[in-house]
Amino acid sequence: LDGPLLAKVLGLELNKDRDVERIHCSGVNTLDIEPVEGRYMLSGGSDGVIVLYDLENSSRQPYYTCKAVCSVGRSHPDVHKYSVETVQWYPHDTGMFTSSSFDKTLKVWDTNTLQIADVFNFEETVYSHHMSPVATKHCLVAVGTRGHKVQLCDLKSGSCSHILQGHRQEILAVSWSPRYEHILATASADSRAKLWDVRRASGCLITLDQHNGKKSQAAESANTAHNGKVNGLCFTSDGLHLLTVGTDNRMRLWNSSNGENTLVNYGKVYNDSRKGLKFTVSSGCSSEFVFVPYGSTIAVYTIYSGEQITMLKGHYKSVDCCVFQSNFQELYSGSRDCNILAWVPSLCDSVPDDDDEDLSSPTRDQTHTSYSGSMES
Amino acid sequence: AYPLGGGRGLCAVRPEGDPSVATRAPPQRPGVPGRERSQRKPISSGRGVSANEDSATRTSLPCAGRLFSWSRPSTAFYLFPAAQRSRDMSRKRHRLVPETFGLKRRRELGDVEADPLRGESGSARAAVAEIVRLFPRVLFEDALPPIALRSQVYSLVPDRTVADRQLKALQEQGEIRIVQLGFDLDAQGIMFTEDYKTRVLKACDGRPYAAAVQKFLASVLPACGDLSFQQDQMTQTFGFRDPEITQLVKAGVLTVRDAGSWWLAVPGAGRFIKYFVKGRQTVLSMVRKAKYRELLLSELLGRRAPASVRLGLAYHVHDLIGAQLVDCVSTTSGTLLRLPET
Repeated sequence: LDGPLLAKVLGLELNKDRDVERIHCSGVNTLDIEPVEGRYMLSGGSDGVIVLYDLENSSRQPYYTCKAVCSVGRSHPDVHKYSVETVQWYPHDTGMFTSSSFDKTLKVWDTNTLQIADVFNFEETVYSHHMSPVATKHCLVAVGTRGHKVQLCDLKSGSCSHILQGHRQEILAVSWSPRYEHILATASADSRAKLWDVRRASGCLITLDQHNGKKSQAAESANTAHNGKVNGLCFTSDGLHLLTVGTDNRMRLWNSSNGENTLVNYGKVYNDSRKGLKFTVSSGCSSEFVFVPYGSTIAVYTIYSGEQITMLKGHYKSVDCCVFQSNFQELYSGSRDCNILAWVPSLCDSVPDDDDEDLSSPTRDQTHTSYSGSMES
Repeated sequence: AYPLGGGRGLCAVRPEGDPSVATRAPPQRPGVPGRERSQRKPISSGRGVSANEDSATRTSLPCAGRLFSWSRPSTAFYLFPAAQRSRDMSRKRHRLVPETFGLKRRRELGDVEADPLRGESGSARAAVAEIVRLFPRVLFEDALPPIALRSQVYSLVPDRTVADRQLKALQEQGEIRIVQLGFDLDAQGIMFTEDYKTRVLKACDGRPYAAAVQKFLASVLPACGDLSFQQDQMTQTFGFRDPEITQLVKAGVLTVRDAGSWWLAVPGAGRFIKYFVKGRQTVLSMVRKAKYRELLLSELLGRRAPASVRLGLAYHVHDLIGAQLVDCVSTTSGTLLRLPET
């Protein structure tokens, strides 16, 4: 399992035979692939439009464009007024998805009818929301807004049930742990990243400290995770570690159980995003990789050693988001140039996998190398 | 431009493998008119563009047959081992350039004239010792302990994670102290504990706060290896009263971080920080003013240090490379420092 999959991730290249239909007229802010089948992808744009794509190649051709199945366009009565910042599929099935936007709302959509099932209104613009992928006992959506409080909205009852206090500035990213359904990580512009247990009534569990200083009550207020705003959060696929990126151009890896900085050094991870940065990790490989938008390219690092593997070049403007499709080891990225690009591994010798018939033909590899060659010049 | 005139000469001259030789006229062919001028010119002038155009003229040259073996590092790699990392794009772009030169590299470890550094340090401890050797003690009349920066250690130890972990281990053993230099939250200064203790004791000799400082050095420093100290830690664990803490701040050993929390500091470091910030900006501007905003490392080190660079060019170059304020690109003529586009 590890050898061919590892080779695939290391061989990610821009694929000229795989296209994603271009629907957005403004930057793509967020992408999400449904966890059930890995077939459908949602994208949210700066114009408030949400598009649903079918990633599966049902034609027998190598040249394939991922078509948009449906979209919530500007003419839809319930479309978001401003830019959509985060979209997420309902973790358990594709019948529902959620989207949050700068128009201070979080909307819950029914996929089949493309109608709104519920709307949550907030006082400030919403930067990010996340629903726990492993939750069975609760249906909470964590919402990070420009206000200093993290709100937890309950989908079952339709109201905001919890508020988590502790941050001093706007919340730029929230993420539930993929391992424990009650652990939530939040990142804020006040340079702090906090881990919370939502069952506890008192404050946060841990405030991450980049210097790994002594833990004490008084010190909590001075602990900072980064020397700038903390922009993005991502748990590793096993939930044991947490990655954070900050506007101090650093990415840090933390042990999520005790909040210790593992001191893995990725070098300069250029980050000047004023809102959240959505990055992703691979899953299913023996050594895990993290894909971080780096200006107009995507930088790929090995998580536990900090080594930079490659920079994926292809976008014309800054990349805002990327998602990893673990079934086929493909990466999709959305950028401010309104394009969604597919990075598909090109194999040097065809590995006879029956689920990969469109990827392993030798002619495709020559076009890959020629394509990547022409990209460089 | 350099590749035009120097191409023919390169085949003959290069086997010495020494960038310092390139700046003088080669012994074999003294009479060729254009050679001296073209070889003194920095490689940055028109290298990328004209090299491609000249590939057509190269076929007639005697040395064009040999293929360039790209992977040989330059001399400067051994001095700045982390500089071998270059970005994908630049590595691919330069593959075109050496094919026109057509020569096999037989470069030995040479001594770059302005630089006293030799070899790379495999470990963080050796790296700190090397940088400490570069530190100009005379400038501060030996009142300041020799300070190395964390970014300089990254330039000498190629793997940053390993460097971080080794520095952490050294910190826990008590061999080095890390202090937060005030100007940039990212820049941390590293010094050997012994140096720090002797200098601080010398600095506070005969002053009213000498007693508090001695108590601090004796009790707190060995016990707590952190960068910062908290109020309750100081008062309860170590038994310092508020007036004593005020005296420590006056002595320059502690700097205020937050309410009830202090950074460890070096007394008299203000002058060092001033020279450092000025020098860093000056060296960066030297690269920025060069044509195409890139400069050969050997050329930069060979230049005369401007008056505002008091700590030495090599000291600042290590810091710039390690802090990734310049990109290092390995080329046929050595490491090239280029300002990043972002």
